[in-house]
Amino acid sequence: MSRDGGTAPVESDRWHILSHPQDLHCVIFHMACLVAYASAFWFYKHPKLVGITGQWSRAAFVATSAILLGWISGINVGVNFHNHSHRRIFTSPFMNRWFGRFWTFSCAWPSFFWEYTHTVHHAKLLGNEDWTLPQRNADGSFESFQRYVLEHWPWRYMVHLRKELISHPTLRRKALSEFAIFAALWSIPFCIDPIMAMWLWVLPQWFGNVWVMGPGMYVQHVGCVRKTPERPVSHSNIFLLKFFNTTMFNIGYHLEHHDNPKVHWSELPELHERLKKELIDGGAHVLPYGYYYASFLLAGDAERKTRFGDQHADYTKT
Amino acid sequence: MKRRARTFVSNAGLVMGRSFCPFLAIAIIAGAMLWGPWVSLGITVLAFVTAMRYV
Repeated sequence: MSRDGGTAPVESDRWHILSHPQDLHCVIFHMACLVAYASAFWFYKHPKLVGITGQWSRAAFVATSAILLGWISGINVGVNFHNHSHRRIFTSPFMNRWFGRFWTFSCAWPSFFWEYTHTVHHAKLLGNEDWTLPQRNADGSFESFQRYVLEHWPWRYMVHLRKELISHPTLRRKALSEFAIFAALWSIPFCIDPIMAMWLWVLPQWFGNVWVMGPGMYVQHVGCVRKTPERPVSHSNIFLLKFFNTTMFNIGYHLEHHDNPKVHWSELPELHERLKKELIDGGAHVLPYGYYYASFLLAGDAERKTRFGDQHADYTKT
Repeated sequence: MKRRARTFVSNAGLVMGRSFCPFLAIAIIAGAMLWGPWVSLGITVLAFVTAMRYV
């Protein structure tokens, strides 16, 4: 019996499976995504239930499902699994490995490949070797938003992953075995109905990678420079809209995340408050909205793009 | 009792908040059973436009 009357042991037993109590949200989010896919598949196979009476109403159902499933899959892998890649959510390595494999296949990624890609991003942030980010124009600025989102996945990533994983003498074996596991899981919807799989599996995953994860990668570092002693807080942008961060696992605190990748996602707002003065003094780019509005601005004309440069009113130097 | 109820509501609210997007997706997809695929498509487009302008 502990001195606190047994409170601490009960608490630790309760969360023994999870590394951190807040990680329950990661599990719920992922399970809800899988339920959403299963629901869409079920309704596609039982069209009368959802009022599908012909080709046009089927197209409406497919368009709805593809957008929504892609949207949540992009968040589920780009943000939710991303947290797991930094800090494992389970205490068991077996659970971490297999839950990870069942996590990323819903957005057309083998978990090992996604983690490798993200490791490159953190290690080479904004350097010439960081092939995960947009390419640079002659003046050092990012290529256009539209060009990046349409070209980065799967085309550019495939080239690098093939070169750095599949053709790598020591990583090749692991990469191929992980790819085989991914292929087996990913093919399940094709076994149910290949046409349905194209509309409600491949199309949402294209949407999730190209129009959700791609814009996220773009807005996080656009206008930024590599970290140096002179400019220590100019490598990432910070997005502070509360609704956005609540529903996106605090991914808006991106500068804090890159500087402290092992800090749990639920503790980033607190870390941000502690670093606030340092961020203001260092000239960090802080924005009062989330990635969606940022994407809207950066995908627009020159006038709209200029508005992205505006600083959050509470974060200007006085 | 009141304190427990408050904790429950607070935790339930946080679960709904954190997983807002997938729950909304399920509601819109399954909601087609009630209002049909065209209304679901309309709600999806509205949600997307709202996110792009305000989130």
